[in-house]
Formats: sequence, structure tokens, C-alpha cells
Amino acid sequence: MKTTGFRSLALYLLAGAFLFGLGVFLWGLALHGGDWAVQPFNRHITGESQTAAEGRVLDRNGAVLAETKNGKRVYGGDATARRAMLHAVGDTRGYISAGVQHSFRSDLVGYNLITGLASPTGKSNGGDIRLTLDSGLCRLARQKLGSRSGAAAVYNYRTGELLCMVSTPDYDPQNPPKDLNTDKTGKYEGVYVNKVLSSSLTPGSIFKLVTSACAIENIPNLDGRTWNCSGSVVINGNRITDLRAYGKLSFKNALAKSSNVAFAQIAVELGREKMGAQADEMGFNRSFSLDGIPSAKSSYSVASAQPDELAWSGVGQYTDLANPYHMLVLMGAAANGGTPVMPYFIQSVTGPFGVETRRGEAKAGPALLKTETARRLAEYMRYNVSHAYGDGLFPGLAVCAKTGTAQVSGRGDNCWMVGFSSRAETPLAFAVVVENSDEGSIASAGRLASALMVQAAKLT
Amino acid sequence: MTLPAEWISAALYALRVAVPLLCIATAHRCFRSLRLGKRREEPVVVLEDTAARTVIPVLYWENSIGRSRSCDIVLRDQTASRAHAVLMRRESGWLVTDTNSKAGTFVNGKKVKRSAPVFPGDVITMGSTALTLKRTADVAGLKPPKPVRGRAASPFRLLQATALVQLLLCAQACFAQGRPDPAPLIPFGALLVLEWSLYFYSMKILGRVSFELETLAFLLSGVGVMLLSGVGVKITYTQLLGVAIGVVLYCFLVWFLGDPERVMRWRVAAGALAMLLFAANLLLARERNGARNWIVLGPFSLQPSELIKIAFILVGASTLDRLQTYQNLTGFIAFSAACVGALFLMKDFGTACIFFVTFLLIAFMRSGSLRTVALACSAAGIGAFLILKFRPYVAQRFAAWRHVWEHVNDSGGYQQVRVLSYSATGGLFGAGLGKGALKGVFAGDSDLVFGMLCEELGLVLALTVVLILAGLAFYARSDVTRSRSTLYSISACAAAGMLLFQTGLNVFGATDVLPMTGVTLPFISLGGSSMVSVWGLLAFLKANDERTYAARRRKR
Repeated sequence: MKTTGFRSLALYLLAGAFLFGLGVFLWGLALHGGDWAVQPFNRHITGESQTAAEGRVLDRNGAVLAETKNGKRVYGGDATARRAMLHAVGDTRGYISAGVQHSFRSDLVGYNLITGLASPTGKSNGGDIRLTLDSGLCRLARQKLGSRSGAAAVYNYRTGELLCMVSTPDYDPQNPPKDLNTDKTGKYEGVYVNKVLSSSLTPGSIFKLVTSACAIENIPNLDGRTWNCSGSVVINGNRITDLRAYGKLSFKNALAKSSNVAFAQIAVELGREKMGAQADEMGFNRSFSLDGIPSAKSSYSVASAQPDELAWSGVGQYTDLANPYHMLVLMGAAANGGTPVMPYFIQSVTGPFGVETRRGEAKAGPALLKTETARRLAEYMRYNVSHAYGDGLFPGLAVCAKTGTAQVSGRGDNCWMVGFSSRAETPLAFAVVVENSDEGSIASAGRLASALMVQAAKLT
Repeated sequence: MTLPAEWISAALYALRVAVPLLCIATAHRCFRSLRLGKRREEPVVVLEDTAARTVIPVLYWENSIGRSRSCDIVLRDQTASRAHAVLMRRESGWLVTDTNSKAGTFVNGKKVKRSAPVFPGDVITMGSTALTLKRTADVAGLKPPKPVRGRAASPFRLLQATALVQLLLCAQACFAQGRPDPAPLIPFGALLVLEWSLYFYSMKILGRVSFELETLAFLLSGVGVMLLSGVGVKITYTQLLGVAIGVVLYCFLVWFLGDPERVMRWRVAAGALAMLLFAANLLLARERNGARNWIVLGPFSLQPSELIKIAFILVGASTLDRLQTYQNLTGFIAFSAACVGALFLMKDFGTACIFFVTFLLIAFMRSGSLRTVALACSAAGIGAFLILKFRPYVAQRFAAWRHVWEHVNDSGGYQQVRVLSYSATGGLFGAGLGKGALKGVFAGDSDLVFGMLCEELGLVLALTVVLILAGLAFYARSDVTRSRSTLYSISACAAAGMLLFQTGLNVFGATDVLPMTGVTLPFISLGGSSMVSVWGLLAFLKANDERTYAARRRKR
């Protein structure tokens, strides 16, 4: 009997395995219960006898962006405003995965571990989410983008509040077009993608900021050097050209004129290793997050590049890619002495009983630039605006910026403008990109940035 | 006057909070009572060495005697065999059985052929050791028995609490659709009749003293039946019929198990019957939902593999004297292989796994041989590998495992993601009996019933249910050396292990912790055969409890 008793301990193995399995399930439930519960197929949310209704999404001023009325999801504002907010708010069917209605669905339907989606009164009303976005500013960006594809983002680099986040093409979530999923002309290409967060585009000359930062740190007496820009230079048998011959240029003028000839040579002089390390330090090849929503990575890879390829990479061509959100964060870093305040767009989440369960706050991000590098880079960027683009674009805002016109094979250029206001009263940074454009960067991206900054300055 | 909907909702929610709390309290009292009712490990009789005058306490109902240190009574005697004899207590009194010893066993100088009765004062001689059987009262200097702390709960009160749980669940079922519906009173009434009938039969007619296991089983069956009444009152009739037949089978088995010798005589017949049932199944059954494990007899459909579980354990268990005499497992291994093989032919992989794990438990408890276990596992591993290699569609059934969220709308993960989603929906106290959506998913009330329990009645009650099932395993183990024979110890551990493993397969299959195999949750899932079978398995646990047969003896 004693032996049998001892052998029966084998049953503990089974019981141990059982309790372990139960632990795995409970652990998953505690971590992901909210995601599990808010699936689109869940009939407690979408069915006729729904027990849970989604709460409202509001902008920073309390304007209703989305709410549930009589079991239907309705979106606030006029058609332009609804389209402007589409990617931030999200759609009803959950196709736009980066939108609040998808990413924060469990908060919106009022999920919690204790009552799940149920509630003692039988009907649970979800929580409200207030965003930091200004729907008026977003609407303006949407208006200015018109029929063009692109992305625009503006944030307060002191508080971290994201004020504008707009991506086109888009559609009106209140009245989704019938041909949305059947269209073959390509007019809705990327319509479900929030380009600010989830796209990476060829940067063109805005990448010269990285090459500049690398030069600031590695080329002694940078301001004493000059480059002879005769319109083109041949590197490793490959001709790199400028719009015209600029003649002899100092470093700051080479940046202001955005001379490919000068920056191609600077990149080659710095070499693959230093350029690669600088790009990595400045946030390329890694993802950033906006309230837990990951951004697409910017990429820069020259480990096996030939000299001519390295030269092209230094002016933002070759295989370079930039993510608009990352560019925005990088501008925040340049404005803030090298370390950005990370943007956020969820101002607050209010639970079913009016209890605030979450509040956005300023958090420092990773250092992307050394303090001295950031200071000098800002000086050069300020010179760009005051001497090349014209302060008339941003009256009274003392903006530091850089434009870029990236050539994309087979279609029009990507026109970029990234920058920030150096005035303490208007701590705003921006990143805008207009795709497939033939107008030039100032005319397209510059005008858009100008309109947004002027409007945003009134908000602060 | 009609009450506002919010008030009804709030009252139903309060009931959903009350039910699991009451269940926990009742289950706790039952398990505590089982622990308190356990016999202390005190000697019943003692053996006195006639030469050395040392006293050896006899602690168990079956005691192995021999030179080996693993024996219950160790003989320091080179002329004794390692496993020399077994001293057993039976209804008729004490018996000594010689287990093929070299030197033989003698009672009062007379050689024991197979076994012989021993009375107080008799001398048992093994090798050069002679031991006198004595009553504890006749020996001075034994430690006094420890006083029993606490009192066992009143079985009447425990069953009352269980009925109250069922009443609270019934109230929820009646108000599931908003306006009151008296239909769920039918299954509630049937449950009351069944449980109180068994109570009076067991306590008043048979004069048994314990009713904890039956209470726990009715607690679980009640939760299952009332949960199903939210799907439809009609389907509870099958379930209740299952409980009724299960209770009858339970009573029969508890009686049948009363005499270990009778059980040992009928083992071969039980094995043969099991094989016949399998053969009938393979010949008669048609494929239903990917498995051929049903026989349809007129209006009834029967799952033979569920009943074979009971025969399987009967065949596997054995009394200590036989364990010590015939040490090889060949017959049982062959029988197990035939069972698992038949289940594979039926494509019922979940049940095959249950039989296999139960086999491992029994084999280990009988032989203590890790080698046998390792060999069996390797054989199973090779078998599984061959099946996956030559029958790739079997592997496909498991392809979505741990990736169910990539298979939200295909058969690989359709059921599991809905279980997860609706389990989370319910929170701790559920969204309301009858208000779930999982019952609309295929097998929602059987294979996925754990999710349904979480969704409608809440996580707390669902966990209580599975922890009660796990608690049965702990109870069976703790009672092993107190039982009247290794036959009971082994069969109780095997039955509890089988129930626990099946619970694990059901819960973890549905929640994607393990691959989905489609087995039922004991006492809860819809299924008559399954309900009959789990009540049958419960009889093994009941037989393991020394008190079950003690009262009857006292009455004589």
C-alpha cells in the first residue's frame, strides 16, 4: 500500500500540468482579454441584442468625431472633416487598424476584467476617448491636400500633443463609397493606411539633414569648407546632377540650395560606416510608437553600397525611406536639444462611470541627436528658411525647416517639408509630404506646411 | 405592475455573483468533510515478533510483507523473499496470501497454499521470522490516537446548499428572455427528485455516512443542466436521462466494487465486453463530424467509448496480492493497445489520448516501472509520427494551434477564437444565462462548453467547476493508502486522473492552450453517454473511501 501511495504522486504531475494550463489561459485573458472581447464577430457588440455600445471619440475641443446612436455608429462634422479624421478615428468595419476605434476598441466598448462587456444594468455604455487632435486643423490639412495623396502631421514638441494627423486618399466613413473594395483604377490605393504612421517614402533632400548632422560631428572646420558645384559630379562612373550650377558654396549655402553635388561628395567623404551609424542614431531602421501604435520604420542601409550608391544615399535617394511620423519626432528632437518629447494623441479615456482610466502626458523619447549637433543643425535649418524658402511662408514663427523632392521611378516626385518653429511661444513641429507631384516642394509641401503652421500657431 | 428592465438585470447579476460564491462555499465544505472523514493512519492490528518481542503496527488494509525496503512490513530476515506475502483485511477478517515466496508462509505451522485466514493470536511464519497477530488493545505502549479536529459537515445541509445553487440558476433561466418562463422549472424539479432520491437511498436505506462526492457531482451536474436550459429546455431531457442512468450505474458499481474478489473475477468479462462494444462500434457507426464514435439505436444515439472507460479502469486495477504475485503487465498493455487502436480507427483522437494517459497512470501505479512508461510514450510518439506522416489531414486539424487568430474565419480557429472572445466578454460573473452567443457556434454546448460557461455565468463559476474536478484528483490521491485495497486506490486515481485529463483536453482545446480534440467537459457538456460515464467513474472514487462500506458492516 505504501508503494502504491508513493506512486500515486504521479497524479500530481497531471494536476500540476492542469494548473499550469489554466495559468496560461488566465494569463492570456488578463493580458489580451480586451482584444479578445472586442472582435468584430462578437455579437455582444454588433448583434441585434447587443449588450455593449461603443463610447464617443472627441477631438481636443470636445467636438464629437464618432458616437453610437440607436445602435449605429455615426461620425461628426461635415464630409471634409470626417474624411480628415478618418485615419485617426478609424472606420466602423475595422479596416483601418491604426485608428482609435480599432486600437482602443476595448476602452471604447468599456471592457474591463471584472464585468467583461456585461454590466449589472444590462446595458453597458462604453468609455469616451478624447484626442489631442484639432479637428479644425486636420480639416484644413485635408482641404489643402485636395485630390493629392499625402500625409501631414503637426505636434507640440514641448507637451507632446499631436494636433494634426491626416492621410490621403481617404473616404467618408459615414457614407463609404460603393466601389471602395471593387475599384480597379487605383484611386483608393492605400486608403486604409494611415500614411503618417504606416508608410515609408523616399525622402529626397530632407535626408540631407542626416548627412549634415554627420558632417557637423565628423568634419572639422565645416563652416570654413567650400564645395565647387558646377552642376554635376561623376562618382564611380555615375553622374549626379543639380538643377543648375551653383558655383562655389559654403556648407550652409549648400544645404540651403540643397546641392546634390556637394552632399554627394560629403557623403562619400564621410564613408559608409559613419553615415550608417548617424542614420541609426537619428532613428532610422527602428519603429516609434504613438500611444502603443507602432510606426513603420524609416530605412537607411549602405553596408554594401558602392561609392556612387553611397553618394545617392546621402541626398536621400538610393534605397532610403522615411516615415513621416519618424520625421516629426526627429524634428521634435532637433527643436528640443536632441531628445524629443514623444507625441501622443489620446488625451484621456473616460470609463463607463465617468472615471478617467487614462490620461496622455509628455514623455521623453530616446535621444536622436547630440545637444550641440541639434543646436547647429537648427541654425542651418533656420538659415534655409530665412535665406532660401522665405520667412513669408511662416510669418513671425522663426521656422527652421528643410524641403525635399524625391524622385520616384515611374511617377511624380514626393515633395516633403519638415521643420519646426524655434519660438518658445509656438513650440510646433511638422512633417508633410505630398506624393506624385510636379509642382516642386515649396509650391506643394511648403504651402501645406505654411497653412498648417499659421493655423496651429493660433491654437497655442 | 412590471419591473423596469434595469432592475431585473441587476437582480440577475446579483444571482450570478451569488451562485459561484455559494458553489465555492459548498465545494469547500465537501472537500473539508472528505478530509475530516479520512481514517487516521493508526494501526488496526499489530504483529509481534515472537523472538525479539518487537511490535510492528499494521497500518493498511493490504500490507505487503517481505525483505524489500519498499514493503509495508519489512522483514530483516535473509531467508524471507523480497516480496514474501500480503496480509489483507477483508469483510470476513484477516487473510494472509503467499506471493510465490521461496520459503513459503505458514500459519500456526501449517503451510499456506494460496491464502489462509489469520485470527488474533495466530502465528505467521515467513522464513525464520515468526509474527503473532494481535489486537491493538492487547498491546501496551502504543501511541494514543490523535483526536479528530473539526466536525464533518452535515450531508443534509450540503445537499440543501446544492439545491439552493440549482434554484438560483433556475431563477436565472426562468428570466433569461426578459419575461418569466416556467419551463426551466421542469429540469430543476427533475434534478431535485434525482438528488434527494439518491440521498434517501444512500443515507437512509443503505445507512451510509458520507454524501460529499454525490453532492459535488450534483453540484456540477446542476450547473451543466441549468446552463443547457438556457439553450433550450428540451435538450436538458437527454442530459437528465443521462444523470438518471448515471446515478443507477453509480449505485450498481458502488455495490459491485464492494467485494474486491468479485471485481477480480469479473475483470476478464469486462475486458471482453469492452472489446465487443468497440467491435460493434467499428461495424455499426457512421462518420459524424469527422469521428465514427456513435451507434444509433432507434431514437437514442450511444457513444460506446464513454462506457468502455469504466471497463478500462476495472481491467486495469488490481488487489495487492495479485500485483505482488503476477508482476507483468502484458495483458493490460495488450488490452490498452487494442482500445487506443480502436479509437484511432474511429478517428476519436481526444478519447484515444484520454485512454493513453489513463493507461500510463495505471501502468505506473501497478508496476512503478518508469521503463514501461517511457516505452509506452515512445511507442505512442512513433505512432503519432507515422499517423502525421501518412495521414497529413490529421496534422491539418492541429495546424492552427497557437495561431488561432490567423484563422478567425476558417475551420482551423473559428471555434477557438469565439471561445476566447466570448469568455472575455463574460467577465467574472457572465453576461447572463441564456444570453450567450457561443451556443450558436457548432459544438458550443459540448466541446466549447467551458467558453459558454464563462460567457453566460462568468469566469469565477467556470473556474470553480474545473477546480472541483481537479480537487477530485487531489482527494483520490490523498486517500490512496487509506482505502480497503490497492484495487480501489488504483482505480480511484485512474478515474480521477481520467476526469482531470479530460477536463484539461476540453478546457485547453477550446481555449487554444492545447490543440482542439473535441472531448466533453465532465458533468457539464451536453451528452447523455458522457454523463452516464462520469457518474460511473465517480463510483471508483466512492469505493476508495473507506467509510463507504464501513457503515454497512456496522449494521450487520
